[in-house]
Amino acid sequence: MIKFLFLGLLRDRSRSIFPLLIVSAGVALTVLLHSWMGGVQNDMIEANANFYTGHVKIITNAYLEQIDQIPNDLALLGIDSIMSTLQNEFTDLDWYARIRFGGLLDIPDESGETRSQGPVMGIAIDILSPGSQEKDLLNLEKSIVRGRLPQQPGEIVISDAFAHKLNLNIGETATLISSTMYGSMAMHNFIVVGTVKFGVTAMDKGAMVADLKDMQYVLNMEDAAGEILGFFKKRIYNNLMANKLVQKFNQLYNQPEDDFSPKMIALVDQRGLGEFLSIYDYYAKIIIGIFVIIMSLVLWNSGLMGSFRRYGEFGVRLAIGEDHSHIYRTLIYESFLIGIIGSICGTGIGLAIAYYLQVHGIDVSYMLKQSSMLISDVFRARITSTTYYIGFIPGLLATLLGSAISGIAIYKRQTSQLFKELEV
Amino acid sequence: MIIPHLAVRNILGAGLRTWLNVIVLSFAFVTIIWTQGFNEGLNAQASKAMIDAELGGGQYWHHNYDPYDQISLPDAHGPIPTLLQDYINNSKATAILITQATIYPNGRVYPIILKGIDPGQKVLQLPTRVLTGTETMLPVLIGERMAENAGLRMGDYVTIRWRDAHGTFDALDAQIVHVMKTTVQSIDNGQLWIPLDKMQNMTELRNKATLIVLGKETQPMAEIEDWVFKDLNYLLKDIRDLARTKTVGSSILYLILLFLAMLAIFDTQIFSIFRRRKEMGTLMALGMTRLKVIQLFTLEGTMHGILAALLATVYGFPLLAYFANNGMDLPQSMDSYGVALGEKLFPIYSAGLVSGTALLVLIVVTIVSFIPTRKIVKLNPTDALRGKMK
Amino acid sequence: MKMSMVILILCTATLVYVQVPSGSEILKKIDQNITSESKIISSKMTIHGRRGSRTIESKSWIQGTDKAFTEYLAPAREKGTKMLKLQDQLWTYSPQTDRTIRISGHMLRQSVMGSDLSYEDYLEDPQLHNVYEAQVEGSEPINGYDCWILQLTSKKDDVAYDTRKIWVDRQRYVVLKENRYAKGGKLLKTIEVKSLLKIKTRWYPERVVFKDVLKSGAGTEFTVDKIEFDVPIDPYIFSKAALRK
Repeated sequence: MIKFLFLGLLRDRSRSIFPLLIVSAGVALTVLLHSWMGGVQNDMIEANANFYTGHVKIITNAYLEQIDQIPNDLALLGIDSIMSTLQNEFTDLDWYARIRFGGLLDIPDESGETRSQGPVMGIAIDILSPGSQEKDLLNLEKSIVRGRLPQQPGEIVISDAFAHKLNLNIGETATLISSTMYGSMAMHNFIVVGTVKFGVTAMDKGAMVADLKDMQYVLNMEDAAGEILGFFKKRIYNNLMANKLVQKFNQLYNQPEDDFSPKMIALVDQRGLGEFLSIYDYYAKIIIGIFVIIMSLVLWNSGLMGSFRRYGEFGVRLAIGEDHSHIYRTLIYESFLIGIIGSICGTGIGLAIAYYLQVHGIDVSYMLKQSSMLISDVFRARITSTTYYIGFIPGLLATLLGSAISGIAIYKRQTSQLFKELEV
Repeated sequence: MIIPHLAVRNILGAGLRTWLNVIVLSFAFVTIIWTQGFNEGLNAQASKAMIDAELGGGQYWHHNYDPYDQISLPDAHGPIPTLLQDYINNSKATAILITQATIYPNGRVYPIILKGIDPGQKVLQLPTRVLTGTETMLPVLIGERMAENAGLRMGDYVTIRWRDAHGTFDALDAQIVHVMKTTVQSIDNGQLWIPLDKMQNMTELRNKATLIVLGKETQPMAEIEDWVFKDLNYLLKDIRDLARTKTVGSSILYLILLFLAMLAIFDTQIFSIFRRRKEMGTLMALGMTRLKVIQLFTLEGTMHGILAALLATVYGFPLLAYFANNGMDLPQSMDSYGVALGEKLFPIYSAGLVSGTALLVLIVVTIVSFIPTRKIVKLNPTDALRGKMK
Repeated sequence: MKMSMVILILCTATLVYVQVPSGSEILKKIDQNITSESKIISSKMTIHGRRGSRTIESKSWIQGTDKAFTEYLAPAREKGTKMLKLQDQLWTYSPQTDRTIRISGHMLRQSVMGSDLSYEDYLEDPQLHNVYEAQVEGSEPINGYDCWILQLTSKKDDVAYDTRKIWVDRQRYVVLKENRYAKGGKLLKTIEVKSLLKIKTRWYPERVVFKDVLKSGAGTEFTVDKIEFDVPIDPYIFSKAALRK
């Protein structure tokens, strides 16, 4: 039976190819929309994740209590051992140790006296290790305004506006004045080899990026770091996995009574991002829901139109003795076939495009005057488990429904009426 | 004249089929406008919240004031200019004095910013009135985030230590009289709000301010010595920069929605042409040129679009107006980089959005209506009469 | 007649004996004790932090009340760091950067080496009588020593601590305890002298504990290992050039 229907469909283009095209297109669009909305959500938190929160973050209990103060005196010790454990036991993520710090940047004149000075916020990341992806995470390469990135110890980049304010040129020395982990004054000379755009005024006014090992030495934080950030290897945040990870890690390694015991927190627990994600989720669900409904209507309508055209055919078939219910059933089966095949094709096409967008994204940096670290200029899609089946709602159900409703005419109209509509 | 006449007759003659297509297309229409309006509202809401709670209609800053450089604060204050004092007296502006301080919640050292504001001010949507009518020596208003970070709750006492204008230490146990829920991080994180007059006395900076916020409708004055006016373009720069990049994401969404509309009409047109080949043959046999046949079918498609637009207006207008006025409830507030939203989202439908969408959809519908009609060029009337396409 | 004379003399003598010196006099005597033409002090500062304690050794050369040169000797990380005070200016030199930076404004309020003292405290005029008016309010024993209780009120507007309360050893004219208050009267810092050194006729605090009362923690201990008074000091040392040597 199926084979008969199938062959029948193949022979009549108007019954197969057009509906298939329409269903595939509709399903592909639905899949694309879903993955795009997910991607936009990810993009919105991406900069926060890359710069501040990671997908998960590990700090000490005491550091967490005062996290907004960046209390390096409460930093994690024994980083080498912790990183080794993470890399062996939690292999789904890439792990990066970082130090955030504050201080003054003092620019000397020829005689070593202060020429200019300004407050600075800093972030120390692993720039120099071969294979480190920290530069990519922070979009450093693209955000360079002048000069280059650090290539050896003792080199830093600072925000471009800050460099202008300090009247500082590339290649000049800047002395960082800060506090060590133990509270002593820390002073260190750096060479400013480049300037970057952060994209957020607060950072652009006075921020710097240094290599982790340099700052560990300067701040007397050998084998220590303020925080360890973990990123899922695909660079897409997965809340379910993150929460599982947090539970597992804290069960194994966190001791609540020990101020300096490491504790893991997820992205959603930081900087109000949990609220943000839930709002955006809500918003996205509404958009996708409405889209699915409208797309379902379009495909239902298409199914309806398809059946309307075939009233003449039904008339003939009734006239030669085919049973009403049999015709109706074949109509449904055909719709089912169209719906399934169309949905599979459409989902396949949609996923292919979505996958490309997930991996490569749409790079709009050419549209922006200058790339920056904190504003993403590549927009990506994000495929989740829902993406795989969401197309089937309009693709299969709506098509079926359309045919089912229009097919009722088979029961309601007189054979002769259907026959006459052959000519319409 | 015959073509439009025929087109109208054909459309109306198709009855239910036309209306089904028109309804579906109108849904697509309304969805596009609603979604974009939602997006625009999302972006504008963040600015709105900041304007309501912090920025007003712009701010006069003391020339030494730099919000990103706390070191500047000890020198960032000056006597309130007489001209601006008039505004303040008429509730068209409000003064804020800012200084550094330290609080000691549970023995922890917590550097903060202390902000003094007139409890009776009407310029900003802050619950400053809680700072009057209490018997506490020093009432304090803080935001939820500050409360959480410092481990403070309403009713708690916390020691504040600051320095007066001469650099002499002073300290007091202040009481948290209210914890406000706000989506604007920049009036919440790391700061305490106290009555302006108390602050001016505490710091011996009487009649001085760090910044003066103008009301939304208040016009700034010409230059005032020692004070710099910062307009909303300057103050909202970060949000606007962020919003600009988001438009790319929104554009893709718009494109996908547009494809939806295209799909709705494409389906109809293809079937229509396929099914009506006999009719085409008849028309050509009766003397209509191919071009005119193409025009007829294209016009029919376009008319679907016009009818859809009209129908969309009929039910779409009240629907969208309802949302624009009443907003959509959001489960919780939203925060990112300090970008803020209220508890309701208000979509924004600009005339540009509606008319632009209408035009775009009509153009798309016309093009999509036209493309399948090109086959008609190759149509042989005698074949068409017999029901064959080729 | 003779008896009344005797009684009068005895009463006068008693009065003289129990006469309380004025606050100002006591302050001057305190200042005489601790200030000198010059001083060389070797000392240790122990900072009790949340993660344990740290001890920093230093040696200071002090001329009068306006000039001071300090070199940090241990631990290795601090070794070679120097500070120079010239009137109300403070400079620091770090050997790692070979730079001399002036500590001013905001930086003055930072703590020295993470201790409970700020650079500002370091800069303040040690001669109390220059800065404060004093009233004797009574007496109280501290660690077994009888002390005057003096209430100090600042003479100027720009003094960091508006009022102080000090307990002064009645015999040795050394401050054994000090409370520093905010303008509103809230206690901000306490200083307790745990032991004294006697050098010739002077008494000098040997072990002192500074505590910021508002924050939790055990405070900072300051111990004088060795002190020499009125020794000749090469004036060159009180120059910025000397910082880099």
